[in-house]
Amino acid sequence: MNLPLLIIYAAAGTVLGSFLFVIPSLHFLNLSGVIIALDLLTGHAIFPVQEPLTAFVFFMGMVVSFAIMNTVPSMFLGAPDESAVFVVLPGSKYMLQGKGYEASMLTGIGGLMGIAFLLVFTPFFFYTLPKLHKVIGPHLHWILGLIIAYMLMSEWPKGTGKGATSWQKFRGAWANLFAGIGTFVLSAFLGFIIFNKTLVPVRMGFQGLLPVFVGLFAVSSLISAILSRQEVPPQHVSKSIDIDYKLLFKGTLPGCIGGLMAAYLPGVTGGIGGLIAGHATAQRDDRIFVMSQGVSKVVYYVGAFLLYFVPTYFFVGGKGQLRRGGMAINLSAFYKPQALQEYWLIMGVILLAGAISYLLLSFNSRWVIKLVGRIPYQKISWVALVLVLLMVFLMPAMVSGELSGATLRGGVNCLLIMAVSTCVGLVPIFFHCRRSNCMAVIIVPICLNMAGYGPQIASFLGLS
Amino acid sequence: MKGLTHFLSGAAVASFFPEAVRMSGRDVSSSFILVLGGLFGIMPDTLDFKVGQFFSKADYDVETDPNRPDPQKMAEGIGKAMDEAFETGRCVKVQLYPIRMGADLWRQYVIKFDGEKNEVVVVINQIVTTSQVPYLGTEPKENRLGRYRIKGKMLETHGRPSVVDIMSGPQFGFRKTAAGEVEVEFLPWHRTWSHSYLLGLFLSVPVWLLASLIAGWSIGWLYGLIAFLGFSVHLTEDLTGHMGGSLFWPLQKTRSNGLSWFKASNPHANFSVDYTAAVIIVYNLNRFAAEPVFTTNPFGFFLYSWFIPMLAYFAITKIFGRKGKDVKKGLVEAEKAIQQEELAYEETEMATGDAG
Repeated sequence: MNLPLLIIYAAAGTVLGSFLFVIPSLHFLNLSGVIIALDLLTGHAIFPVQEPLTAFVFFMGMVVSFAIMNTVPSMFLGAPDESAVFVVLPGSKYMLQGKGYEASMLTGIGGLMGIAFLLVFTPFFFYTLPKLHKVIGPHLHWILGLIIAYMLMSEWPKGTGKGATSWQKFRGAWANLFAGIGTFVLSAFLGFIIFNKTLVPVRMGFQGLLPVFVGLFAVSSLISAILSRQEVPPQHVSKSIDIDYKLLFKGTLPGCIGGLMAAYLPGVTGGIGGLIAGHATAQRDDRIFVMSQGVSKVVYYVGAFLLYFVPTYFFVGGKGQLRRGGMAINLSAFYKPQALQEYWLIMGVILLAGAISYLLLSFNSRWVIKLVGRIPYQKISWVALVLVLLMVFLMPAMVSGELSGATLRGGVNCLLIMAVSTCVGLVPIFFHCRRSNCMAVIIVPICLNMAGYGPQIASFLGLS
Repeated sequence: MKGLTHFLSGAAVASFFPEAVRMSGRDVSSSFILVLGGLFGIMPDTLDFKVGQFFSKADYDVETDPNRPDPQKMAEGIGKAMDEAFETGRCVKVQLYPIRMGADLWRQYVIKFDGEKNEVVVVINQIVTTSQVPYLGTEPKENRLGRYRIKGKMLETHGRPSVVDIMSGPQFGFRKTAAGEVEVEFLPWHRTWSHSYLLGLFLSVPVWLLASLIAGWSIGWLYGLIAFLGFSVHLTEDLTGHMGGSLFWPLQKTRSNGLSWFKASNPHANFSVDYTAAVIIVYNLNRFAAEPVFTTNPFGFFLYSWFIPMLAYFAITKIFGRKGKDVKKGLVEAEKAIQQEELAYEETEMATGDAG
C-alpha cells in the first residue's frame, strides 16, 4: 500500500469534486462514470492496476466533496438534486433574508458532524449492522412500504378552507393532496418504465437515472425560478455562524438517523430520511433543519459507500457485504476490500476530504454569492438550465467515451426522458404539494421488486 | 403525539403477532400486513385533518379586509360569539381565516384569549411569505390591536395564543361549563368522533371482510385485528396530552381531557416513543425469525438496544438542552405590541390624571 500516493489521489478527488460539483446537476455518479470510462479507454492511465485502492480513495474524496458541496448549486443556483431538494425551501428562506452564506455553512457544519458520527459509530457498523441486516434484510420490502405509506399519509391539506359549503371547502383544501397523490402515481409509473424499458443506452447503468432526477428536481426548479422572477436580496457574508452546541446536537440527531436510513434502505434518499427523522424528533427550528440536512446528506452518500468497506468477517457466518449506493455498485467489479486496515484507510480519507471540502465550501459560497449579486437571478437560472441540458444530452457520449451517432441519439432520448420528468416535477411546484412524492420514481419499483411483485406489474403495464 | 409516532406505534403493535411477521418475510409471502398497523395508527388524525375539519360548520366566520385589517372588529366578532355561548348556553363555533395578500404573501395575526382580563385580543403582525419569512417593518403603524371584554368568565385551556398566517386558520368552539364559565375549545372538531375505540372497531370490519375475501377466512381476522389495534394505540397515546378524545363516540360525545403529561409536539416524548417502537419491531422480527440472530434474553436485548441509548439521549438532552420555552417569533411580536399598547394607555391615563 503506497500511502503517499493514496493521499494524493484522495486529495485530488476531493479538490476536483469540490469545484466541479458547483455546476448544477453534475452528480458524482455521472462524473465517476466518465472518469471510469476514460480510465478504461486509456489503458488504466488514471488508476494504476497494481494499486486498485487509488480509485476507491479518489472516488471517496469525490463523494465527500459532493455531499458537502452540492449545497451550493442547490441553494444559490436553484438546481437541487434528489437529496438536496428539501434543503431548498429553508435555504430559500435564508437567501431571502440575505443569509444564504450562513445557510450554506450550516449545511457544511452538518456535513462535518455527519463525518464525526460515521467515525464514532464505526463499532456499530462492525458489530451491530451486519446482524441487524440479517434480521431486517428479508423485511425490507414492507419497511419501504411503510415509508411510502407515511410519505402519502403525512401530507396535510394546505387550502385556505374557504367555501360556501363544506364540499367546496373540502375540494379546495384537497387540491394539493390530489396533486401530491397524482405526482406520486405518475412518478411511480415513470419509474416502472425507466426500470423496465428505458430509452437510454443500457451501458449507462446508474447514469440512466440522471435525466429522470434532473427533470424531476433540477429543471423543474430552474423553470420555476425563471417564471417566478424572484429577486435575490444582497447577501451578507457573516464572519460567524449563529449556532451553539445545543443546536449542533439537535441538528445532528435527526440528520444521522435520516442519513443512516437512507444509506441502508434502498431507494430512500437523504432528503426522505431527513424528513422522516425530522418528524421523529419533532424539530421546528430552520437552523436545525438546514443543518440536519447537511448531516443527512453526508451520512447518506458517504455512509453508503463506507458500508462497502466493512470487512466481510463481521457478517453473520463470516460472509456478506453491503453494497449500497451507485458508487459501491459501480466499483465492486474492480476490487473487493477485505481487511480492517482498508476500512480505517477510507475513514482517514473521509476525514481529510471533509476538512478540504468544508474549507472550499466557504470559498465557493463566497464567489457564487458575488456572482448571484452581480447577475440577475433569472439570467443565472437560464445559464444553469443550458448547462443542465448540455450535461444530459452529452452524458451517453461522456460515459461511453465516444461521440457517435448512437451516443447522440442516446442524448436525444435522455432529453426526452428529462422533458417528461420535468412535467411531473412541475406539478408539486405549481400545486404546493410535497416534492418528495417524486421519489416514488425509484422507491415504488424497488419496493415492489423486492416483494416479488415487480415482474407481474411490469407485465400488466405491458413493459416486459 | 405526532403522526409518525402513531404510525410507528401501530406498526410496532402489529409486529407482536408471529403469523404477521412470518407472512411479511420475503421467503414466505412478502405480505404488507405490518404496514396496515401503521396506516390505521395514523388514521384518526387523517380523518380529522383531511375530512372532518371541513364538515365542522362554524356559526360565524371572522374575516377582514386584507388591505385594511380591522383587529377591533375581529376581536368583537370572536368576543360576541363567546357572549352568545354564555347567554344561550349552546356551543358556538367561530372560523378564522388567513389574510391573503398575494400569490405568496400573507398577513400574520395573533389571537390571544386573556383569561385574567376576560378579553379577546387580536394583534395584526407583519406580512409574511408562504415560507413564513416576515417582511420587516410591514406591521400596521396604527390600528394594530383590537380588544373585546366578554360578559362571562373565560376559561382558557389551550395555554398559548394562536398565530394565523399561511394556508388555513383555526376554528374555536365556545361552550358554557357547569360552573358558568365560557370554555375556549381549540379545534373543536379535533379528537371527537374520529378518536373513538368504537369507530376503530367499525372501520376494522371492512378490513377483515376484504382481507378474508382476498387471503382467506382463516387469516382475514388478523388483518382486521391489526387495523383495530393500530387505531386503538393512537387513541391511547393521545391520552397522554392535554386534549384527550371522545373515546366511545357515539355513546360519549363530549371530548374528555387528557392526562396532560406532555404536549403532543414534545420532541423528547415523540422521539422516545418512536425509538421504542423501532426497537420493539426489530425485537419481534428477530424473535419470530426462523433462525434468530440475537440470542440474548429479552432483558439483555432491551438493556443494550433501548435502555442504554435512551439513557444516553436523555443525559445529552439534559446537559445540552435549551432552557426555557421556544416561542414563535410572531407571538413575541404580538406580545410586544400588546405591552406597548398597555404602556401607551397607562401613560395617557397618567397624563389625564386618571391612573391608579
